[in-house]
Amino acid sequence: MKIPRLTTLASIAVLVVLALFPVIGVPLNWLNYLFIFFIYLALANMWNLLAGYTGLICLCPHAFVGLAGYTLAIGTWVGVPFQVGLIAGAAVAALFALMISYPAFRMKGIYFAIGTLILPEALKAWFNFWRPVGNAYQGMGAGYSVKGVAGVTLGDQYWLALAIAAASIFLVYIILRARLGLGLKAIRDNENTAASSGVNIFRLKLISFLIAAFIMGLAGAAYFIFSPRIQPTGGFTISWLLLPMMATVIGGEGSEEGPIIGAAIVTFLRFLLADYGAWSLFIQGIILVIVVVVLPRGIAGLLRQVGAYRFPQKLFQAAEGKIHKT
Amino acid sequence: MSETAVLSIDRVNKSFGGIDAVKDITFEVRAGEVLGLMGPNGAGKTTLLNLIAGVYRPDSGRILFQGRDITRYAPHKICHLGIARTFQIPQPFTSLLVRDNLMVAAKYGNKRGDTLELDEILDLVDLLKQKDTIAGDLATVSLKKLELARALASNPTLILLDEVAAGSTEAEIPRILDRTEQVRKMGKTIILVEHVMKVMVEAVDRIVVMDKGEKIAEGTPGEVMKDEKVLAAYFG
Amino acid sequence: MENFLVGLAPPLIKGILLGGLYVVIALGLSLVFGVMKLINVGHGDLVILGSYFAWAIMGWLGIDPFLSLVMGVPLFFVLGFFLQKFIINRTFRISLDAALIACFGISIVVQGLCQAIWTPFSRSLATDYRLLTFAVGPLTIPLRYLLDFIGGLAVMIALREFLRRTYLGRAISAASQNEPVAERMGINPNRVYSFAFAIAMACAAVAGVLQGLTFSFQPTSGPPFLIISFGVIILGGLGSMVGTFIGGMIFGLTQTLGAYFSGGSMLVQTIAPYLLVFVVLSVRPQGIFGR
Repeated sequence: MKIPRLTTLASIAVLVVLALFPVIGVPLNWLNYLFIFFIYLALANMWNLLAGYTGLICLCPHAFVGLAGYTLAIGTWVGVPFQVGLIAGAAVAALFALMISYPAFRMKGIYFAIGTLILPEALKAWFNFWRPVGNAYQGMGAGYSVKGVAGVTLGDQYWLALAIAAASIFLVYIILRARLGLGLKAIRDNENTAASSGVNIFRLKLISFLIAAFIMGLAGAAYFIFSPRIQPTGGFTISWLLLPMMATVIGGEGSEEGPIIGAAIVTFLRFLLADYGAWSLFIQGIILVIVVVVLPRGIAGLLRQVGAYRFPQKLFQAAEGKIHKT
Repeated sequence: MSETAVLSIDRVNKSFGGIDAVKDITFEVRAGEVLGLMGPNGAGKTTLLNLIAGVYRPDSGRILFQGRDITRYAPHKICHLGIARTFQIPQPFTSLLVRDNLMVAAKYGNKRGDTLELDEILDLVDLLKQKDTIAGDLATVSLKKLELARALASNPTLILLDEVAAGSTEAEIPRILDRTEQVRKMGKTIILVEHVMKVMVEAVDRIVVMDKGEKIAEGTPGEVMKDEKVLAAYFG
Repeated sequence: MENFLVGLAPPLIKGILLGGLYVVIALGLSLVFGVMKLINVGHGDLVILGSYFAWAIMGWLGIDPFLSLVMGVPLFFVLGFFLQKFIINRTFRISLDAALIACFGISIVVQGLCQAIWTPFSRSLATDYRLLTFAVGPLTIPLRYLLDFIGGLAVMIALREFLRRTYLGRAISAASQNEPVAERMGINPNRVYSFAFAIAMACAAVAGVLQGLTFSFQPTSGPPFLIISFGVIILGGLGSMVGTFIGGMIFGLTQTLGAYFSGGSMLVQTIAPYLLVFVVLSVRPQGIFGR
């Protein structure tokens, strides 16, 4: 039997420990905290997949999140259980991504960025007026509650979020080690060269985009099971773009560990700034600007630069050497 | 299209905003030959390469590769069929290792079955020692070599070389000529755009001369160098 | 048929007049894009900041918004200068993506600031003359739309003369045509960038006043204006002031005619411009008049 690498073992161990948290009686606010962390992590991993590895700075995560959330919510009003609505929401987000992909990928660089920004704004306006089921609230489009989730425990939601976050890490891991990862990086570095070397630019961008849309949709829907009420302003709030972007920039764009570090910091920030309510957005913006100017490669980049990885790497290699000898 | 022709350019036209970059160009490239493409600046040589590679679409005319009409094909599809190209100003995948630069072409561009030894290609262009260097850290001279290596990695039948010798010293020329010969020995057909006369004259079998978008001469180096129209184009 | 035309006249006129507002917003964005090839995604939010500033001054000192520009324009000019100098210029040395993210960060900072100080609720610049109308033949047109048009024309002419006649203006024009040449003429590009951004911000202050008189606004009202003004400059073509003016008209008309033909639907009014921008972006990003 082939002995798996130490890092794989370590990762699985961490996963198992985290999965046991609700069972071994960890305090509830820890679960709360980690739930948010997992959601942000999934979003950050996907934004990093697009921006850091494919070279697509997409300003529409909040379109996918909101769309998935609304699909989930409206679904529960017409008898679709939230478990199905969760997957359906992600599927709708991916379908939406597919629909706009052909025109969107004709846009390059900044045109693509603004083109994608249009989508959540348009959706926000749409859901302000579109009310397919339920009574008309005063002031139209005041949102939907998510029905039938009263029985879902925090532990269940925690596991769901953990699964989604783990899936996001796993997906990025596999993609980067497969041919797809090489192709995406080639596109990021130089599209023309990639095309002339046989890379089907449109198809690879599409794959990347669809995966990101689906996972972001999953994460979004999972969030709205946790916080079971969605309105246009909350579902399509720019925070759903800001948070994965911050996590990626702070952690380190274009690295695998960056989003993890970044998501942890962003989660910490969220709870820290909760007391400052109205000013939290302002402070987050300031942090983003400072980090992108002062530390453009993020924390992972900084660690790499000071060689901080070399010591643990040597440690792991030595340990692996010992294991394989016995 | 004649039987030995690998590539056939048939009355191809391309203009940009009213300026004719390529005007009614017709010629053939025979299998296994090295065809030189020559002309003063602005003659349309790189535009023609871009048309063949699928970066631009001709306004009219056809381009046939091994009998197949590739006029409207996208660049990646043209690479799959067996045409590779280098860029005049090197355009590497800057964050990737040298060998990964080749790996992209090998894994995405090579649809014709036989796998190539990437190490052999790197050795041919004298980049074997820099196999694990990040492309962005290479000097310009090495980047030019990388262009050729990447083109070879997709296992092409036809290679478009855009000024591989530009900026090279006298001492480097023999090595460049040698490399071109080795590529020809691999059975590949080459279209060579070059300003460095020594390379042009010694490496090629035939030359097509362009001026202001039109073909003004075609023939062996000897014939072409004596052609009045060619002399007029270069020396007024 | 006659009735159809008569009914069409108000939205047509309103659309053209409204275009003036979008021209002012777009001019700031266009100036920065022309000089530094940067789209400041926070531009819309800075315009809204201008609206809030005018609102605050109005509430605090009771001064008319146009008069408050005496304070607002210099303030925004200085703010813009420092934003460019200390933040955006630095990101140019890093990467284009970094500049985009920094501008997005500025967008968030402004949104957050407005939200914290002035709450998420809608405001508008409620001057005495805001709801006045004037007559054009048998039609009544709101005054503030006329103010938008005059504002658009005024800012456009002022900017054009500035770019042509002042040393700084010519330096900015030179930089947007061809940076290496400008540099050899002894012009420091970073300096030029800072001034260009400062001027763009001054335009934003004016736009803020006009916007606040025309529509009500909230902290999150910025991005829609960014999208529309971006649409204006790609439709009108970069570098063409006339094109920008026509682009502004087109977007004004899109909204008013959209509202007219849909029976006053707010949804259509909001989404029609978005659709237009998206379509133009995917079909012809270099614009209709572009060079």
